[in-house]
Formats: sequence, C-alpha cells, structure tokens
Amino acid sequence: MKLGTEQSGLLGRVRNLAARRTEGRGLILLALVIIVVAILEPTAFTAYSVTLGRVALIGLVALGLTAVILMGELDLSVASTLAVSGVIMASIPDLGLGIVVALAAGILIGIVNAVFVVYVGINSFIATLGMLFALRGLAFVISDEKPVRLSNIDAGIAFGAPLIGPVTPRVLIFIVAFIALQVFLTRVRAGREFYAVGGNRQAAFDAGIPVRRRIFTGFMISGFVAALAGVINTLERTAADPTAGSSVLLASFAAAIIGGVVLTGGRGSVVGTLIGALSLGILQVALTLSGVQTDIQDIFIGSILLIAVITDPTQLRAAAASVRSFFQRREKAQIPT
Amino acid sequence: MKPDMPLPVLEASSIVKRFGGAVAVDDVSIAVSAGEIHAVVGENGAGKSTLMRVLAGILTADQGTVKVGGELLEGGAKGSLEAGIALVHQELSLIPEMTVAENIMLGSTPTSYGFIRTRQLKAAAAEALDEIGVSVDLNESVARLSVALRQFVEIARAVARKPRVLILDEPTATLTPAETDHLLAMLQRLANRGMAIIYISHRIPEVFTICTTITVLRDGKVVDSTPLVETTPSAVIDKMVGRELSLDLSSRRVATPGALVLSARGIRAHNVNGVDLDVRSGEIIGLGGLVGAGRTELVRAIVGADPRYGGTVTLWVDGHPRNITSYQPAVRAGIGYVPEERRTDGLALTMSVSDNIALPNRRELSSAGVILAGKTARFASNLADAVGLRPPVITRDVGEYSGGNQQKVVIAKWLGRKPRFIVLDEPTRGVDVGAKAEIHRIVRELADNGAAVLVVSSDLPELLELSDVIHVVRDGRITGTLSAADANEKSVMSLASGENLVGA
Ligand SMILES: Nc1ncnc2c1ncn2[C@@H]1O[C@H](COP(=O)(O)OP(=O)(O)OP(=O)(O)O)[C@@H](O)[C@H]1O
Ligand SMILES: [Mg+2]
Repeated sequence: MKLGTEQSGLLGRVRNLAARRTEGRGLILLALVIIVVAILEPTAFTAYSVTLGRVALIGLVALGLTAVILMGELDLSVASTLAVSGVIMASIPDLGLGIVVALAAGILIGIVNAVFVVYVGINSFIATLGMLFALRGLAFVISDEKPVRLSNIDAGIAFGAPLIGPVTPRVLIFIVAFIALQVFLTRVRAGREFYAVGGNRQAAFDAGIPVRRRIFTGFMISGFVAALAGVINTLERTAADPTAGSSVLLASFAAAIIGGVVLTGGRGSVVGTLIGALSLGILQVALTLSGVQTDIQDIFIGSILLIAVITDPTQLRAAAASVRSFFQRREKAQIPT
Repeated sequence: MKPDMPLPVLEASSIVKRFGGAVAVDDVSIAVSAGEIHAVVGENGAGKSTLMRVLAGILTADQGTVKVGGELLEGGAKGSLEAGIALVHQELSLIPEMTVAENIMLGSTPTSYGFIRTRQLKAAAAEALDEIGVSVDLNESVARLSVALRQFVEIARAVARKPRVLILDEPTATLTPAETDHLLAMLQRLANRGMAIIYISHRIPEVFTICTTITVLRDGKVVDSTPLVETTPSAVIDKMVGRELSLDLSSRRVATPGALVLSARGIRAHNVNGVDLDVRSGEIIGLGGLVGAGRTELVRAIVGADPRYGGTVTLWVDGHPRNITSYQPAVRAGIGYVPEERRTDGLALTMSVSDNIALPNRRELSSAGVILAGKTARFASNLADAVGLRPPVITRDVGEYSGGNQQKVVIAKWLGRKPRFIVLDEPTRGVDVGAKAEIHRIVRELADNGAAVLVVSSDLPELLELSDVIHVVRDGRITGTLSAADANEKSVMSLASGENLVGA
C-alpha cells in the first residue's frame, strides 16, 4: 500500500508556489509604487543613480537584519553599530586599517549581542536595545560629540564616484551583499538552518542543529553588515557623524517587514527584503523630488508598512470574517422578534 | 527459554530524571536488542516521553547511564544521533516552512564545503520515504501537509538517519486504521532487518500485534517487563493503572434526543463543500471519516473558528434562534470547542492549569472585573478532579504536564461552561485507557444533562461506542448517515473510503 499526496496539476503547483513564497505582497506593493511614481513623479526613474543609492542605503542594513529576524530574534543595535563603526574608522589615520578595525568592531558587537541572548538568556529585544544606547554613547565619546573628518579625503571622493554607469561602489557592495546572503540562506546548510531555528527552535535543537552557533552567526552577520554600511557612509561623506543612522533602524525594519519577513522568525527571504528596500527607496526619492518634507514622508512610509502588514493573507481573512459578522449582526438586529 | 539472546544494542541502567522536586523517571533500566520491537506503555504522565528524551540525549539524566553498543552515550542530542538513536517525538517537530525533503534531512543535510547538495538531499529523502512506503511531493512545504502525512515525514526523518535504535513516541495517535496498519507493517520490516525499535502507544491491541517485549511504567517506575507472549492485554492494563479497571466499556447510553440545539445549513469552507447538520439536545453525533476528509474544517467552520464561504449556523438559545457567525459570540452563546491541535489552539502552555481552566469562564469567576482567586481555585480543582488530571496540581504550568493530561485540561476548561453545544475534535488522542474511559463518561454525562454533542474521532471503536448517530464525511461532504444500531467498523469505513467493503 502507498500513502501520500497526489501530484497536483499546473494550477495546483502555481497555487503551492504562491502559498509558499512570502514575497507576494511586497511585490504587489512594489508594482503599485512603481506605477504611481511613474505617473506622478517619473524623474525618480530618470534620476536612477540617486534612487539606487537610496535603495542601497536602506537595503544594506536591512539585509543583515533579515538574517537575525529569520531566527526569530531582533537586532535593534544596527543603527548604533553603523554610527560607532564609522567613528572608529575615521579616528584611525590609516584608511585601510580603519576599515578593517571598523568591520571587526561590527563583528565583535554581534558577538556581544549573541552572548547576551544565548548565554545570559536575555530577550534579544532588550539585549540589543541596551546595546543601541551603549553604542550610541560610545560613538559620542569617541568622536567627542563632533563629526570626525576622514584624514584621507581623496579616497572618500574617489569612492563616491560611479564605477560603471550609475553603479557606485555603494550600490556594488549592496548587490554583492545581497547575492552573498541570498546564496548563504538558500544554498549553504548553516544559512538554511536559520529557517529551522526560527521556525521551530526545539525541533531544530532535537535534530542536532547547533542552535546557539547559528544565533551567533546571525548576530555577527547583522553586526558586520551594519558596520559595512557605516564604513560606506563615512567614505561617501568623507566624515563620520556620531548621530548617523538614526533613521536607518526604522527604515531597515520596515524594508524587511514590507518584504514579508515575519518578526517571529522562520518565514521570509532576502529577496523580500530587497523588494521592501526598493519600494521604500523609490518612494522616498519620489517624495523628496516632489518636495515633500521628510516628516510627511515618514507618514507615507508608515502607511505603506501598515498596508503591507494588514494585507497579510491570514490577517485579511480574519478582517473579512469580522467585517462579515459585523454586518450579519446588523442584519439580524433589524429583524423584529 | 531465551537460548542466545543477542547483546542489547541499547542499554539504559538506573535512569533517574527529576523536574524540580517531582521524579518523572525513577530508577528505570531498559535494554533493547537488534530486531526487537519493545513496547513501553503506561498511563499519562507515567514518564514514557521523559525516558525517551533521556535516551535521545535531549534531557540529561540526573542519575544512570545509557549505553549504545556497549559505549557510553554522551554529547547531548547530537551525540545520541551520531550513536544511532533516532526519536520520533510525541509532538510534531517539523519546520513548517521547509520542504518535505529538507525536513527529512534536517540536521543531516548533505553538503560539500558547507553548500547543500540538493540532488543528494532529495535522493536521500526520497529513499527514506520509499523505505516507509509513503509518497509525498518532496518540494511541498510541510505546513501544507495533513497531520498524518506530517507524522510520516517525521518517521522518514528518523529512518533516514539509518538508526540502530528507532524510538517512536505515540506515532499512531493521529493515524487512521489503514495508516496504522501500514506503519506497523513497516516497523516489522525494519525490525526484521535488525533495527531495534522502542514503541510507545496507548493502543494495547497495536502493541500486541507487533511487539516482542513489553515494559510497563507507572509513576516513573518499571512495574513489569516481560516477553509479550507471557502476558495478556488485560494483565498489561491492570499493571498500568495499578488497580483493577472496573469499566464497562460496552455500556451504551439510551439516547433521548430533545429539542433542536444547533442547525447548520449549506456550510461551505476550505475543504468543506456544502454540509447540512442538525444536533439535538441530549444527542451525541459522531463525525467519522478518513483523516483529511474535512471533518476538522467542518467543525471549525460551524463554530466560527475559521471563516465560512457560505451557509448559516443557527444555535437555539432557550427557544430563540441565534445566528452564529464568528467564534467569540459563539462561545458567549454557549458553544464549546475542544480543538484537535491542543498545543496551539487549546491551551496557554506557560499558564497554570487553573488559569487555563478559568480562561473561558472569567465572567463567572469574577466580581466587578476582578478575578476571585479562591473561587477560581475551587472551580478549577473540581474540574481537574472531574477529568482525572494527574497529578491534580492546578498551580502547575500546563506545559509541564504530559500530553494526555494536557488534553484533560482542555476538556475541563470547556466543561466548566456547561455548554449547550460542544464539539470535541479527537477528544482522546494520546490519552491513556483509564482516562479515555473517564472522558467517554464525561461526554455521555454532558449529553444526558441536555447538551448537544458533536464528536470527531478517527478512533473507530470510540466513535461507535459514543455516537447515537454517525455521519460519515468524505471530500468535505456527508456521504452517509448511520444510526447506532446500523453502524459498525465496516459500514463506516466503506462510506469513508468510498469503496464498497460491505456487500458485493
Ligand atoms: N518540562 C517539564 N517540567 C516539569 N515536569 C515535567 C516536564 N516534562 C514532564 N514533566 C512531568 O514528568 C512526568 C512524566 O511526563 P511524561 O511526558 O514523560 O509522561 P508520558 O508517560 O509520556 O505521558 P503521556 O502518555 O501523557 O504522553 C509528568 O508528571 C509530567 O508532568
Ligand atoms: Mg508522552
């Protein structure tokens, strides 16, 4: 006797794929953003180099964050990591050494976060919230509360220049980071096991997956990528600002969530995060080009974020049911008894 | 008698495991040899699962040693896996978002330089599925599989490891009779090839079909361990409960259906294609059918736990019709629902028994919005007694109770509401024989006191014993209705499978 499912037809397979992927909503949202922007503010596309830069800025930190969120943990310290690593880099006269030390600092921060979460057993929201404050303070202390100018300004200017077409080194690094993480999370065993750790941690542990080591890796990736973003920012601006990245934290979380990464872990992808970053980046540039103030821009971003979450299929079903029951109750109330 | 018993593959000696002050496993020794199917039975909370978790290295014993092939086991879950022990957990332990193939190879994914070797992964997964005779799309995500298929995927994962010792903790609780037979035949095949198997089940007949040795646990201690041929089912049950079980399992209630309590018309929902159903006061309606026939979806749609695509549900409250559209109002109107997936739908595992029982009864237990502690405690402990919770400590977290006892808490929770209409989906899955009889008694009592009862069960004897009328569901429709007098295993199964097993 054979037990099992029957292979469904093409339609069934398409439906399966749609149900399995998490990027659907993000993709629809991105399409909407593109259409609306193309009609109302097409310059956002003609000025694609600006747009690309913006996407890379938002997206890079979000990519690292995705690795942590997939395991059901949070890393609120990314923005402060970005600031502190930039300041460290600018404070070291030798550019190469500065970059290496800054990136190492990012990894170290990731390790500290992971130690708190894994060994001390602090909830990652709280542990990284603590790191958010501590590192921001550290950035101010190192920089003496002033922007630190890069000693090798020429290198910074050279770094900002486009390499091929509109592709600046920043965009290139973003693309490389995206590909590397995509490969890591889908093709490398350790990365793929992030999904297991986030999806059902006990089951992952029981299956012999080194859960703690995976969590360490995740936080290290997130810390490293945030530091990388700090390095890039410092190079492009030829100075490190200790207050840098204050808007990065929220934007990167927003990008991941819009892209369908679930905060409780186990569901999502860096492709989704890329889609989220694209939607946000295009929207921000378009709004800026049409002269909308940044405060108002935030309202738009907030709305997009809420739309993305509300249109989650399971949420939609629940909402539809409650709307229906509301009206049915109404109907009933009108029947005289 | 035993000419040359082979050396045991697995040998655990004097295992002790405590949780806080309580001793869950108390000085247990057990040995299993190659080719042997060793049954471990006992009441809910006897310590079966705990002992298995110790053997699989997931829990560390407070005392005692585990040896595999003469070598001392160490290194936790990973060490045990490497030594050749594979455990199929009582609770499903798959990663819902991963594919079938990935789940089967979880923890032993083939790689080269860290990269997953997809082709090899799928080949190994396919081989494991083949070995257990199940065909599932390897690329399907586990979240979309039926409970029974998930169970088989888990077994495939254990088998894929090519273990020397395979432990199965209540693998048949979610399976239909046909699937169970399939599983038992497969285990026999594996044992014939020299695998040592430990098999946990509350279904004594299963144990007597395939096992060679049986160990009975009670309160964490081994009370008996003998070759199967030297004992009988009733002797085993007596040893499990430690007393003579004086239950008349064949007692049939005389049903006296009263007024209509619930009527569902044209119900359509996911996997439900137009069902009409009436339940009267004092009546127990059984829903039979194969796993995946749409019974759970049907009852969830009726109580409003899942959205309906169409149809109406009317509950008669003291002679007045009430439209049931969503779950919360349904509960307030007097509907009770004991769900199939108790760990996710029915319980707050990190809350105490008493909080869980009080949850749907907050109104009755509070005054001016404040929950009355004394009243709640009395209320909860009365109900815990009624369902035979063991140990009856209502301040303990539900998550610390064994699987069967958790089920009792879910039922206790709804009993307290004295529902007009109650749905029980697989009410005795994973529940031991004594508690099962107890739950059956409670269900009958509910009906005798005027409640309308709807029971979903894949356990045919249970369905036959409890129901006054059985509706058989197939492909989301009711394909036949049998009165208590006409129903037997054959007639239900033939309607459920759509094959004519009776006549012809
Ligand atoms: N994590 C835990 N913390 C505290 N107590 C526990 C824990 N796990 C199990 N126990 C207790 O240990 C005892 C044995 O539980 P176990 O799950 O091994 O029983 P079981 O024989 O598998 O029962 P069932 O047939 O219901 O699955 C029970 O009294 C249970 O309450
Ligand atoms: Mg158990």
